[in-house]
Amino acid sequence: MNTADVASLNRPPPSRLRRVLLWAALLALLGVAQTLLVTLTLKYESSRAQEAVESVAAAGAAEVRRELLRLMHALQALAWSEAPQPAWREGASELLRGRQELLRVEWRDASLTVLDAVDTPFVSDLFAVMPRAGLGADADSACNAARRASAPIFSGSYFVPMPGGRGLEVMDLCVPLQRAGREFGYLVASIALSTLLETALTASESRRHEFSFVEGDGTRLARAGVPRGAGVYVAERVVDLPGTALQLRTDSAAGHPSLIPNLATALVLGLSLALFSVVLLLARDQRRRAQAEVALAEALAFRKAMEDSLSTGLRARDLQGRISYVNPAFCAMVGFTQEELRSPRVKVPVVPPYWPPEFTDEYLRRQEMRLEGAGRRVPEARDAREGFETVFMRKNGERFPVMIYEAPLVDSQGRHTGWMSAVLDLSAQRRVEELSRQQQDRLQATARLATVGEMASLLSHELNQPLSAIASYATGSINLIDAPDASTPEMLRQALERIAEQAERAGRVIKSVHDFVRRREQLHETTTAAALIEAVLPLARLQARKSGTRIEVDLPAPPARPPRTRCDRTMVEQVLLNLTRNGIQAMETATPPAERVLTLRAHQAHPGWLTFSVIDAGPGIAPEVAARLFTPFFTTRAEGMGLGLSLCRTVIEQHGGALDFGPGPGGRGTEFRFTLPVPKGQETGETSGSSIAA
Amino acid sequence: MTNTTLDPRLGLPVVYLVDDEEVVRDALAWLLRSRRLLSEGFASADAFEAWLAEQTAPGRADWPQAPACLVLDMRMPGTSGLVLFERLADAGRLPLLPVIFLTGHGDVPTAVAAVKRGAFDFVEKPFSNNALVDRVEQALRASAAALHERQARHALHQRLAELTEREAEVMRLVIAGRPNKLIADDLCISVRTVEVHRARVFEKMNVKSAVELANLLQQAGAAAQDGPDGR
Repeated sequence: MNTADVASLNRPPPSRLRRVLLWAALLALLGVAQTLLVTLTLKYESSRAQEAVESVAAAGAAEVRRELLRLMHALQALAWSEAPQPAWREGASELLRGRQELLRVEWRDASLTVLDAVDTPFVSDLFAVMPRAGLGADADSACNAARRASAPIFSGSYFVPMPGGRGLEVMDLCVPLQRAGREFGYLVASIALSTLLETALTASESRRHEFSFVEGDGTRLARAGVPRGAGVYVAERVVDLPGTALQLRTDSAAGHPSLIPNLATALVLGLSLALFSVVLLLARDQRRRAQAEVALAEALAFRKAMEDSLSTGLRARDLQGRISYVNPAFCAMVGFTQEELRSPRVKVPVVPPYWPPEFTDEYLRRQEMRLEGAGRRVPEARDAREGFETVFMRKNGERFPVMIYEAPLVDSQGRHTGWMSAVLDLSAQRRVEELSRQQQDRLQATARLATVGEMASLLSHELNQPLSAIASYATGSINLIDAPDASTPEMLRQALERIAEQAERAGRVIKSVHDFVRRREQLHETTTAAALIEAVLPLARLQARKSGTRIEVDLPAPPARPPRTRCDRTMVEQVLLNLTRNGIQAMETATPPAERVLTLRAHQAHPGWLTFSVIDAGPGIAPEVAARLFTPFFTTRAEGMGLGLSLCRTVIEQHGGALDFGPGPGGRGTEFRFTLPVPKGQETGETSGSSIAA
Repeated sequence: MTNTTLDPRLGLPVVYLVDDEEVVRDALAWLLRSRRLLSEGFASADAFEAWLAEQTAPGRADWPQAPACLVLDMRMPGTSGLVLFERLADAGRLPLLPVIFLTGHGDVPTAVAAVKRGAFDFVEKPFSNNALVDRVEQALRASAAALHERQARHALHQRLAELTEREAEVMRLVIAGRPNKLIADDLCISVRTVEVHRARVFEKMNVKSAVELANLLQQAGAAAQDGPDGR
C-alpha cells in the first residue's frame, strides 16, 4: 500500500447539491425511459390492431368477391339451362332459396323487357313501396354493358325503400343469354348488399368488426357485424367486380389501446431493471467496501509500523486530558504500559501517572487554560508548532525534561476533539549541555586562576623593586653611620632622598591596585549562594576526584527563600575555590578515603549576613600554624605560594565580611567560614538554624 | 669595615653591576659605596660585553689590573645574564672575574646549575643587603688571589728569562737530581764551573736550595700549562 491509496480513502464526500443533481438526473432518465417504453408499446399495439383490421378487411373483401362470383356462376348455370318457363322458374326459385342474398331473378328479353321474375321467399314486401320498374335504370345500364361485353356485369347499387322506413341497398347482376353467338335475353339478379355481407363473412370476424359498404364520400350503403365499430382501426378495401366496384370498410370494435395495463407492465419492467441495477450496484459497493477495508487495514498497519518505529513519543488526549492513545516510544520514555496510561473514564480531572506530583497543580491549571482556549475556537495547527518544555516523571520517579509539540485533533465534522502531542525526551541533550557547560566553567575557573596568579606575580615584581632599593639604602646608611667619614652626611641625605622617592613609588603601585579593587567593587552583583557554589563545584569535583573525596552541598531546603548575597562573583568564587582546595588537600594524607567528605554550606544566620562554610574532615590545624595562617607567604606546602588564605581574607574583607576558621562540627576537621552581605532590602528576620557564624 | 684583607698593592677593586633596573642598580652602587667599594653599572649584558671587549683589546695591559667581581641579574631583556655568564666561562675569565647572580623568584634551579658551572654564588631577590656585600667582598678576595697568582707567574717567567743558556742547562740537571760531579761530566766542564753556575741560578731564581727550586718550577710549569697568561 502506498500513500496515494491512503489519500484516496480520505477523499472528501461529493457535495450535497451534486448528490441531489445526480439523483434527479437518474430519476429523469428513468422517467423518459418509462415514457418511451409505454409510448412504443402503445404504438406497437396500435399497429398490430391496424394490421389485424387490414387483414380482416382484405379477407372480407376477397370473401365478398368470391361470393358474388359464385353467385354469378350460379346465374350463368341457370342461363345455360334453356329450360322452358316452368322449369326455369323452378331453377330460379331453388337458387333463391339457396341464396338468401338474392332478392329476385328476372328473365329479360333482348330488349330488356321482363319476361319472367321470381322473388325471394325471405323478403315479402320488397317492392311494396316502389315498383320494380321504377328501379330498373341501373339494371338496364348493366345489361347494356353486359351485351357489349358479352359477359356478366354488375350494376351500381341503389336503394330500395321498404315499408316502415326500412330499405335495402341492392345491386343488380346482369348476365347476357347467348345462343349461337347472339344475345337473346338477359338474366338479371338483384342482390341485397347487407345480406351479402352477412352470408359472406364468418361469425368470428363479424363479432369483432363492423363491415360496411361505403361510397366514395363515406356514405354507408350496407352494414354487418357488430353494430358499431370504435372507428379507431378502420380499413377499406375495394372489391372489384365486372362493371362496378364496391368499397368494403372494416371497422374494428377494439378501441384505443388502454394505458393502465401498459403502464403497469412498464412499471414492473422498470422496477425490475432498477432492482437489477441496484443489486449490481450493491455488489460493486460490497466489493469496493471490501477493497477499502483491506486498504484501511494496510494503512493502519503502515501507520502502526510508523508509530512504532518512531523514537519520538506520541500521545493523544481528549479535551478532558484523558489519554486515548500512546505509542511504544512514549511508553518506553515514561516507563508505564499503555494500559496504565489509558485513564479510566470516570475521573476528571485526569492526572496521568507521569506527572511529577510536585507539578500536578501547575499542569492541571495549564490544561484548564488550554481547555478554555479550545472551547472558543478550533486552534490552528501551527499555533502548536513551537512546542513547549516541561518536566515528566518516569515510573522509577526520575524527572526528566521533555519538549512537547501539540496539534489539535479534529474529527470529520470539523470538531476539535483533543490533542495529539509529540514528546521529545530532552534528558540526553541536557546531559550534553551540562557537560559542555561544566567544561566551560572549568576553563573559566582555570583562566581566572591564571589571571589571579599573573596579577600576584606582576604586583610582587612591581613592589619588589622599590622595596629592595629602600632596603639597600637603609642598610647602606647604617653602614655609613657605623663608620662615618667626612662625606657621610651628604651621602646619608642622598640615601634618605632616594628612600623617600622609592617609598612614594611603592605607594603609587599600591594605589593603582586599590583603584583596581575599587573598580571591581562596581562589578558587585546580586546572586544566590547556590549559584556561587555551583560555579565552583565542577573544578572542586575535579580536584576531589583525585583523592576520592566526596563533596556535599548543604543549602536551605526549597521551601525557604534561597539565600542571596551581593558580591563580586569572580572573587568570591575564587575564595570558595581556594578554601575547597585547601580542605581537599588537608584530607589527602591523614584521612581514610571513606571519611573524606568536604561540606559546602551556606545559610543565613543573621538578617544582614550570609554565612558560607567549608568543612573538611582533615586532621585540623596545629596552634602554631593557626597563629600564622593568614600571614602572606606563609605556607605549609612545598609548592604553595602562601598567598591563598591571606588573599581570601582580603577579598572577604573588601566585601565587608569576615573570614575565620575553627574546628569542624564535633571537633573533627576544620571549618572555614566567611560572611557576605545580604543585598539591601532583602534582609529577612530569619535567624533560625544553627548559628556558627563568628 | 674596610677592605684591609685585600692586598693594597693590587689596586682598588671594582664591582661591575649588570642589571636592567636602574633603581636597583643605583641602590646597590650606593650600598657598595657605603662599604667603600667602587662599582660600575651597566644597563644590559650587551653594554658590559662591549665595554669588556674594549678593555681586552690587543696591545693593552692584561685586564683586570685590580680585583674585580660581576654582580649579574639573571633575567634581563636582550642578552640574558645566563648567556653572558656562559660566554665569560668559555673565555676563561671566571677566576679573575667571579660572577654573583641576582635571581628572581623561580630561577633558583637555574642559578644552582650556574654555580655548578663555575659561578661564584647566587643571591635571591629580595636580598639581605649586607649579606650580598659580604659575598661580593669574598668574590673580590678570590679575584685578588687569582690576580696574585698571575703576578707570581709573571715574575718567575721573568727570572727564568734572565738565565743564560748554560745556567738553564745546569738548572735542568740540578732539578733532575744529578750531583754536581756528574753534571760536570755531562757538560764536560769542571766541577767548579758547575758550582758557579749553580750559585748564579739560585741567586737569579731567588731560592736557597735545589728542593725549593724544584717546587718553584713545578708550580710555574703547571701554571704555564693552565694559565692563558703564561708566556
